[in-house]
This record gives sequence, C-alpha cells and structure tokens, in this order.
Amino acid sequence: MEKVKRRSALSALGVLSLGMAAPTLSKGEVVAEPYKVQKQTLKTDILVIGGGTAGVVAAIQAARAGRKTILVENGSQLGGTTTTGGVAFPGIFFAWGKQVIGGIGWEMVQEAVALNDDRLPDFSIPHGKQHPRHQVRLNGQLYAMLIEEKAVEAGVQIRFYETPTSAVFQKGNWVVQTVGKGTNTEIIANQVIDCTGNAYAASLAGFTLLREAVTQPGTLMFQIGGYDFKSLDLKLIQARYQEEIKKGTLVKSDFRNNIVGLLKSAGDNIQHVLGADSTTSESHTQANIYGRASLLKTLRFLRTLPGCEKTRIIDVQNETGVRETYRIDGHYKITHQDYVTGKVFDDSVSYSYYPIDVHDENGVLPDHLKEGVVPTVPLRALVPKNSRNFLIAGRSVSSDRLANSALRVQASCMGMGQAAGAAAALASMQNKTPLDVPFGDLRKLIEEHGGIVPGSSQKG
Amino acid sequence: MPGIHRRALLNVLLIGILLLPAWVTQEPIRYFQAPALSLKPDTVLAYTVDFKDDVDNDTLFQNRSKEGYPVSYFRRIKTSVCFDNKCRLVDITLYWNVTGRYLGFELPKGEFLSKTEHEPFTPVEYARLNELLADPFSPLANFSYEELVPKSASAGAGVDAVSSATAKNVLEYVVEGAVYTTYKLWHLIYGPARQEVVSLTEQRLSPGFLLKILESPDASDKIWALNHIRGYVDLTPELRKTVLSFIDNNQFNRAERAINALEPKALRSDTLQLALLEKYVRVNYALKNQLILKLKEAPRLNDQLKTALARSLASANGELLSNTLDLFQHHRVADPETGRIIAGLLQNDNNFLARKAFTYLKNVKIEDRIVEKQLNAYRLKHNL
Repeated sequence: MEKVKRRSALSALGVLSLGMAAPTLSKGEVVAEPYKVQKQTLKTDILVIGGGTAGVVAAIQAARAGRKTILVENGSQLGGTTTTGGVAFPGIFFAWGKQVIGGIGWEMVQEAVALNDDRLPDFSIPHGKQHPRHQVRLNGQLYAMLIEEKAVEAGVQIRFYETPTSAVFQKGNWVVQTVGKGTNTEIIANQVIDCTGNAYAASLAGFTLLREAVTQPGTLMFQIGGYDFKSLDLKLIQARYQEEIKKGTLVKSDFRNNIVGLLKSAGDNIQHVLGADSTTSESHTQANIYGRASLLKTLRFLRTLPGCEKTRIIDVQNETGVRETYRIDGHYKITHQDYVTGKVFDDSVSYSYYPIDVHDENGVLPDHLKEGVVPTVPLRALVPKNSRNFLIAGRSVSSDRLANSALRVQASCMGMGQAAGAAAALASMQNKTPLDVPFGDLRKLIEEHGGIVPGSSQKG
Repeated sequence: MPGIHRRALLNVLLIGILLLPAWVTQEPIRYFQAPALSLKPDTVLAYTVDFKDDVDNDTLFQNRSKEGYPVSYFRRIKTSVCFDNKCRLVDITLYWNVTGRYLGFELPKGEFLSKTEHEPFTPVEYARLNELLADPFSPLANFSYEELVPKSASAGAGVDAVSSATAKNVLEYVVEGAVYTTYKLWHLIYGPARQEVVSLTEQRLSPGFLLKILESPDASDKIWALNHIRGYVDLTPELRKTVLSFIDNNQFNRAERAINALEPKALRSDTLQLALLEKYVRVNYALKNQLILKLKEAPRLNDQLKTALARSLASANGELLSNTLDLFQHHRVADPETGRIIAGLLQNDNNFLARKAFTYLKNVKIEDRIVEKQLNAYRLKHNL
C-alpha cells in the first residue's frame, strides 16, 4: 500500500514536471530553447579594443581608409570618458591661436556643438592660467549617438558588451578571444589597436606594462542643486565639514578637503576616488561603489547645513571615471622634459596640448606650458616593445608620469586614435607592422582625413 | 641749437608731468582699453535702466558719433566701500565698448581710488585694475563674498580686505588691498548694464556700422560683429567682401563665424558661390567642411562650383567626401558629368569610398549609360 502510494505520488510529480516542460502556449507564443553560447569566428583587418575617446576615432579612421574594422566595447555606448564618464569637455584642440588637433575627433566634437546650438569658445583669446576657457562643452548623450552613427556609417562593426580574454599572435595575425552577453567569439585580425585606456589587451598579449605605485584618483561626475551658493555661510559650512572629517564620518580626500569647492562646482569634476581602476570588472565595481557611497554620504551631510537643506541630486554618471592605470613600455617613452619643451620627433604623428595635470589626494595644481609650446606624440610611443601588428592609443601611451598626466586628456587621445587607426590601416594594406610603414604614407593618410601631423601644413 | 634746448626742456617737462600723481596735476585719472570704433563722440543720449544693483543711479549714457553710430557707453557710479568699519565713497565712471566689452574707467578730477588704510592706488595698481576688469571670464564671476574675505565679517558686506585675510586663489584676480572694490566694479561691468549696452547697440546696427566694428583691433569685437550680421542686416557687397576676407587659416573662430554670417539669401549669388569655391581651395580641412555645409543653405548650386567640387571628390576622403555627397544629394545633383565622376569611385579599392558612391547613385537616379554600367558592375561584385 505504501509502495502504491509512493508510485502514484511520483507519477503525479511526473505529470507536474511534464506540465512544466510543456507549458500551455497562448497565441503567438513559442517555447524558447535554452540559450547555448556558440563560439563563432570573425575575420577582420583591424580590431580596435575599447570604444572610448581614442578607440572610436581609431576605428572610424581605419574603416574610412577602407579596412574591415571591428570595434569591441565592454560598455553599452561609445565615447568612454566623454560620455559614460561624463567628462563632456574633451580637452583642448587649439594652442596659441592655432588648431593643433583636428580630423575625426574635431569633426565629431564640432558636429555635436552645432546640433546642440552650442558655441565654440573663442580660441583666439589666450586662456592664460584658466585653460578650461578653451574647453569645448558638449551634450554627452548627443555626442554618444553622433559618434555611434559615424562609426556605423564608416562601416565599423560595433560589438558592445564584449571584452577580450586572450590575445595571441599566430601566423601574422592576432587571434583574440572575447566574451560578452551570450557570446564567445574568436576574432582573427591582422592588426590590433588597444584603446582600453588600461593597456588591457597589451597585457593579455604579454607585453610589459608600467604603473605608478600611487595612481591618480578617479572621479564620479554628478550634478547637485537646490541651494544658492552666494548666500551660504561658507565659514560655518567649512567648520562643520571639518568636524565631520575629525569624527571620521566624512573622508577628507573624497572632495579634496574642500566642501566649498563641491558646493561651488555643484559636482562638476570635484570628487576623488582614490585608487580608482577600471582595468577589471572587480576593480571598476569597487570604484563605482565607493564613488556613489561617498556621494550619498556627503549629500546627507549637505542637507543638514543651513541653506543646503534642499540639496538634491540632479544627475549622476553611470560609472566612476578613471584617470590613470597602466601604460605600455613602448619603443619610446615620452618624458616630462619632452612634453614641456614641445619636442618634435621624426615620427611625431599628433600633437597634444594640456598643462601637466597630476591630481592627488589634495586636489590638482595644473602646471601650464610655456607660450608657444605644443608637445607631440611619436608613433613609437604607441607601439609596445617586442610587438608586431599591435598599437595602443590613448592614455596608455608610453610616457612618464608627468607627461602622461597631460597626454591622457581626451583631445590628445583623439589625435593618437586617428594616428593609430591610420597606421594600422596602412600596415594592414602593406602587410607590415606599423613601425615599418613609410612615414610619408602615414602622414599623407592622416592629413587626407583632416588630421594634423606635427610639421604639417594643416597646423594653423 | 636753441631748438634742441627747447626739445630737451619739453621732454623734461613731459616726464615730469607723467611722474606727477594725477591727483596733483588735477587731471582726471583715466584707464582705457582700445575701443572698437575710433570715431569721436558727438552727442550723448541718456537711457533709464533698471540695473538691479545697489548703486543709486539708473542712467546709462550712449556716446554717438557724427554719423549716428554708438561709439561707447558710460555709467556714473557712486557706491560705498568700507575699510575696518570706516566707509568711503567710490566715485567712478565706467565705460563700455559698443559690443558690451569693458572699455575703461575715469575718476572725477581730484578723485582717486584707495586701498586699505585709505592708501591711494599707484599707477601700476590702476593699470592692473584696468586689466582685471577687462577679463570677462574672470573667476570673480563665481566667487562668493565670503570666499573673497574669509575673515570675521566685522564690518558687514562691503568691507575691503585689510591684511592677509584674502584667499590666495582670489589674490590673482584682484588688486591687493582692494578686493571688494575690484569685485564690485567687475560685477557692475558684467552685470545687467552689459546686456543693456548690447541691446542698445543692436538697435542701431547697419551694414556701415558693422563694417566699422569689423575694423576693431580687438578680436572679440570682430567675432561680435560677425555674429550680428545674419538676421540683423543685409549683406551688402562691402560687408560681404570684408566677411569673405576673414575666411582663411589664420583664426579658426573668426573664419567659422564669417562662414556662419553668410545667409541663404546671399548664397543665391553666383559671385558669392564662386568666391567660396576660391576659398575652398585654400583653406584647411576643418574649414573646407564648414564651406561645404554652408553650401547646403544655398537655393541651388552654381554649375562651375558643382563641377569643381565633383572633381575634388577623386581626392576627397572621410568627412569631406561624405559632406560633399550629402551636399549633392541635398541639391539633387543628377547630371551625367557629375554622375560619371562619382561612379568612378565605385571601383575604388577603399570600400568606404565605393560604398558611399554606391549609396549616392542609388538614391539619386542618374540617367546615363556609363553610370548604369558601373553601378551594375558594383552590384555584381558585391552580390547586391
């Protein structure tokens, strides 16, 4: 009897599980098969890894030069620091009254300015010690859409939500494995451009990377409102802030020990997240959580202050922007001395223009370039030692810490991106490694696409 | 010989006069920037304005030239600035350029500006004040009063910083010892008065007046004038000539604003279109693109211009190629000659160029046997 009972119970369960396996379908519904991640292989001329400031430009340049181009980006949109990071003021394109960074980066920026009815700053008026006067302010979200449109139009195959897991050079091509949401892809590319900003692909490929013992802090960009700065009792606010720091409820370095600065800037490029590192999901998660937690804690504190009771968050970026992680050990390392003297190399492919700008836990004190100085980037600084068919562009450029603090800025990264895209395109066409491409060919291609090469007739 | 003596004597006298403090010579103290217009004031008109500040004066004066052009504006200011609980009146006249730019200041005869302890400004400090006030982007715009004087506010608002209390980051933008004076004057200059000046000038705009402003030695005046052509005045032949002269590689902003100043109506002119073509050949990549975009506003394209641009396609790349094809598509350019030039790109090794050409030819039907043949070959090659 017991057995019978158990059997009928089991068969009842069987009916139940059968019922679960074959659900009643409404009209139009179908049963979805379990998703299987299928490995696929793609072939391309150029693979750009990282769709940020430099990567988008590199990919568009390569595609417009007629090369089949894939762009792998681990986020959901292009633009990186300019868009996802919220630093929608992409640096400085003019120096001493002349344009020094042009081409694809400038095209994208100018189009975003025009479509938003914004005005360009007057670059003919020297910025003096206030270099942000020459920053072009953009609508970040508009910019993200525009650059995506341009990449697609150029024929770039964009793969969002993907990241590489290995990179091996085999028989004259790179074989890069990537994973993404439901994807597992092998990409065979003749040339790779690492625009991750962290030299992540270069690291996977086994090239030597350099890093400072203490890197610059990151920043979560946000906007607060709901108070009238000019009517605040700043002395009292500063005293209350110091009390909280003493008690340990607020952290001095989170807002540069400057609560007045936070209120004045309303959140624009003021927060510091020490040790922020975007190289891996884990390190970036940590930076994001820290940035948000610190903001929330500070918001709650602000709302206890006289005149700030109604302080509110207007906007917060999706992630903490990162200033500095890894740099490649390239064929040439740009030094601080090179930068501040505006050294022009035989293989200079782009200009850079920004003050030496090292953020630390106390804030930042930009060290401005002397009048007339416009630093340059040699192609060798974009090529890791012992590499073939491999370039980097962006803040991972081979450079010392001080030079890097200026080179990392977006406009400079755009210039490097275009140069790297052109070098990779030519290397792929000529079946060479980028350093073997005749420099005349490279200069010609960059200039044909509006880029400005040091010594070029385009400058000015 | 007597002539030389006389000259030497005059020199000594001149140096002596220059060295004498202005208040001793009783000459009014005046510091000025270069004006946009070098015309002499002929008449003065008074306008009542709500300046929304604590200065007890609601009149803005406009100086006009014989021709009736505004040449400058001024406002008389009498306001208190206090030192250590002792207040004194600042009596000054502030001047604006016709474009709203700060022009200068003048003190009544015998008046002088003073710092802490009523110490008079030195000539160097007057010159520094003049420069500080000329900076429209000064951080003074955003400093709060408490940031300027982070000491105990014993005398309340309107107190000038006495000693070392002024924050280091503020000192760069003020005359030391006259923090509040600098701050207050800067805010009076860039406050509602500035907008009022611009509005009054806008009411007097004419091609001749703008031509005068375009001659200004100040770069920002030129930009201002270029921004006040389109939608404000007719582009007369003289004005057009001047605007075109600014389209060069020397100053991007000026060139970009000059291109922007050309309105669609003016672009009807074949002469203007051909002048732009001449510029196109000479300017850099970024400006070439601006010119192509501008031509989209023209009601039609001049044939000579169209052919020249079509021929330039063979060497165009990237953005320039895209923009030129967009321009042709916008104007529905479908003549066989242009069609054949574009069809020539179908065989280009660069897929991007070939694809762009294909998209164009597919969208703009061109009835030409050669074009058709090349299109079919492209379709066959790419299985389209």
